Amino acid sequence: MASKQMLRYLFRRFLFLFVTYVVATTVVFLLPRVIPGNPLSQLLSNLSMVAQANPEAIRAAERALMEEFGLGKPWYVQYVEFISKALRGDLGTSITFYPRKVLDLIVPVLPWTLVLLLPATLVAWILGNTLGAQAAYRRNTWVDKGVLTTSLVVSQIPYYWLGMIFIFLFGVRLKLLPTQGAYSQGVIPSLTFSFFVDVLRHYILPFLSIVVSAMGGWAIGMRLMVIYELGSDYVLFSETLGVSDKRIFKYVFRNSLLPQITGLALSLGSILGGALITEIVFNYPGTGYLLFRALTTLDYPMIQGIFVILIASVYLANFLVDFIYAVIDPRIRIGQEA
Amino acid sequence: MRRWLGLVLLVLVVPLALARVSLPREETVYVAGALWGPATTWNLYAPQSTWGTDHFLYVPPFIYDLGKDAWLPFLAESYEFVNDKTIRIKIREQAKWSDGMPITADDFVYTFTLTKKLGIGPGTGWDDYIEYVKAVDKKVVEFKAREDNLNYFQFLSYALGTDPMPKHVYERLEAQKINIKDWVNDNPKEQVVSGPYKLFYYDPNIVVYERIDNWWGKDIFGLPRPKYIAHVIYKDNPSASLAVEQGNVDWAGLFIPSVWELWEKKKLPIGTWYKQEPYFLPDGVGFVYVNNTKPGLDSPVVRKAIAYAIPYEEMLKKAYFGYGSQAHPSMVIDLFEPNKQYIDYELAGKVWGTKDGRIPTDLKMAEKILEDAGYKKGRDGIRVAPDGTRLGPYTISVPYGWTDWMMMCEMIAKNLREIGIDVKTEFPDFSVWADRMTKGTFDIIISWSVGPGFDHPFNVYRFVLDKRLTRPVGEVTWAGNWQRYENDEVVKLLDTAVSTLDPEVRKKAYFRIQEIVYRDMPSIPAFYTAHWYEYSEQYWINWPSERNPHWFRPSPWHANTLPTLFIISQKKNPQPVPKWVETTDKGGLLIPTSKIFNDLQKAAKK
Repeated sequence: MASKQMLRYLFRRFLFLFVTYVVATTVVFLLPRVIPGNPLSQLLSNLSMVAQANPEAIRAAERALMEEFGLGKPWYVQYVEFISKALRGDLGTSITFYPRKVLDLIVPVLPWTLVLLLPATLVAWILGNTLGAQAAYRRNTWVDKGVLTTSLVVSQIPYYWLGMIFIFLFGVRLKLLPTQGAYSQGVIPSLTFSFFVDVLRHYILPFLSIVVSAMGGWAIGMRLMVIYELGSDYVLFSETLGVSDKRIFKYVFRNSLLPQITGLALSLGSILGGALITEIVFNYPGTGYLLFRALTTLDYPMIQGIFVILIASVYLANFLVDFIYAVIDPRIRIGQEA
Repeated sequence: MRRWLGLVLLVLVVPLALARVSLPREETVYVAGALWGPATTWNLYAPQSTWGTDHFLYVPPFIYDLGKDAWLPFLAESYEFVNDKTIRIKIREQAKWSDGMPITADDFVYTFTLTKKLGIGPGTGWDDYIEYVKAVDKKVVEFKAREDNLNYFQFLSYALGTDPMPKHVYERLEAQKINIKDWVNDNPKEQVVSGPYKLFYYDPNIVVYERIDNWWGKDIFGLPRPKYIAHVIYKDNPSASLAVEQGNVDWAGLFIPSVWELWEKKKLPIGTWYKQEPYFLPDGVGFVYVNNTKPGLDSPVVRKAIAYAIPYEEMLKKAYFGYGSQAHPSMVIDLFEPNKQYIDYELAGKVWGTKDGRIPTDLKMAEKILEDAGYKKGRDGIRVAPDGTRLGPYTISVPYGWTDWMMMCEMIAKNLREIGIDVKTEFPDFSVWADRMTKGTFDIIISWSVGPGFDHPFNVYRFVLDKRLTRPVGEVTWAGNWQRYENDEVVKLLDTAVSTLDPEVRKKAYFRIQEIVYRDMPSIPAFYTAHWYEYSEQYWINWPSERNPHWFRPSPWHANTLPTLFIISQKKNPQPVPKWVETTDKGGLLIPTSKIFNDLQKAAKK
């Protein structure tokens, strides 16, 4: 019975996700086309500045490009082409980085983004929640005050500012760590121990800047959640029953964690968008910069490509969370039934 | 699904396959400022290629040097005019592709044919000006100019300056039915090039080229000095500038605010072309384009008033750090000696009332012009034309993030409001701004035109004034004449200038154009943009500069920069500058443009 309920629940969720996914990709397709502007601008302006020999030549190039990208066709034809190609795993050719395929551009930078953001997000989440819970549990002690004030301050520091302070402090002043890039200039990547160490040294500052700035938010959220839970009936009841503090804290921690998991899922899902500012400040390779360039140059295929993957991963993360919820919290399955 | 799996595998395996190599610092020139995103393609049959492709990998028959106004025979040994419309180019006997195949006339013919077929590639648009390209024998190629569209500048620039591509490589691609435009030519082992470098390595962080040590030209030109050229891909200007300051960059083409502080205050071994203002060579004419189709702005009187109201000196000092000087209203770049002959200084002086004819910043004069023409100030301080058109609201705009130009806009707008023209600044994203520029829907913008070259000032007159390059408002044109100026006389004068071999006739045409320009003021030539170029002497010395003026397009991003790499030396191993960078009369190889035109004239008399 329970598994049938479960299946039905999951199927419904899946259907819902599929429909919203189609809607979302459609919006991603339409939105950039609504912005006034010409995706060929960047390419043609390069030509206009370089091809001084013959201005008429630019016109020939423009015609060739319009045809190449099918930009002259009506939008619904372009849409059908986009969908049918995407289903076959072909996200098209980037306009700004013509003639590179969108996938060929994303794939080489994807590992860097994942390796930086996945651990950083998880570490920030774990540290933040632990600190927040501890602070709430020891409310009004120095622990609480310390965690709360630092969290408030740190979470309000803009990302890039923290990055720049790190660069200045550890890179320029103390000269402890490199300030930019994913590995030393002039080194060609290889699977050797020294390269690994080199990458690690370059990893520390961007990693820390993300962890530190993201941690505060989690801690504040968790602290509030735990405080709220501490006032709930079951805690009072347990207390009167004489249940040990440790055990009560465990109950409370688990219950408070639920909404935090949703938050984690969302931020894990959106990782592929990259941490633009971190990438720029530390000159670190990643998808954020690609997305930024795509958006500012109105590179339709590139925007579509990144968002198709991005939305899919957000949904995947959501779906997994739904699944986890359904497993760990029976109220949800049953609630769906009603 | 399988495709995705493959990709994931690829990501995991690629780093495994690479051997560990570290570029030797003293043999590498690190570059910044010519590449701001991932590498695209090393195939020139595309609207853009990765930096380096047409700089170092593929070379033309002749390379033009601006300072000496002369041509270096590179792939070619010599030229010969059969008659005044036909040129023959003799390819060097030694010239070989990097796979050992000789570079032949067939390669040239094939290259031009393929470009015509694909609509894009080396020499795009050649068939507008050239009737045919044919192989006379294995090493001699012949170009014939089109009589119905005779343009000596275009004719020569296509014939002398187009990189040939290896026929045997492209034929193989065609045989394999590979879409040529999609081919990115990124396998170093398979690259077949004519220049002294080829691709060594690339990833999202860096592109590295390696010298070909047995390059065919080494007995003629020697070898370029750096073994490796490595361009680190920086994400923005500040991070690239920081790298310059930290000594991680040897060769840069960057806009750096207060660049002089690097050597004056911080005592770094960094330099630019000039030690003093303007620090950089000029690179082109920056215009204040005024839309000729907007009510109010369509009047020459208003445009002239705007010209008087632009705070040239102040804005160049404050917004541009003195990196460029005010442009001459004739649109000619008169900072190079040979160009001065094309300016009617007497006329300019008479019209604008200054010694060299540059437009003074004179708000009173601007107001007087408007007042005299009957533009009366309303109660809000904004002038209204005699026919009731209010001067504004207009916008003056440049793309967001172009900080130097943004500041110029602010300063211009302030002055324009002062003389009674209602102008606000606006800074949209580049693609939006560019769309307005090319469609002719803007009011006022600052934008580029073209730079110095052997066809200057024809190139700038054509770009700014030729109505044949324009389309109606609302339709995109990148070709030029963004302000939508229409004048048939100018068109005729332009045609005269390019189809004559008589320097006097050409000069006369230019002088007449200047008269028209001063009368109609289609747009305002405001300043000379800078040829961004910085170098570090930490590892490499002898960089071209004012004191070492051996090559005048020394910036890494310029297509004619290759000789720069033959001129510099390793610091620990200084070598003389090669003799061939001089003109023929000084024992070098460079052939002056004037000699080429003389030869043409002689051929005409045959």
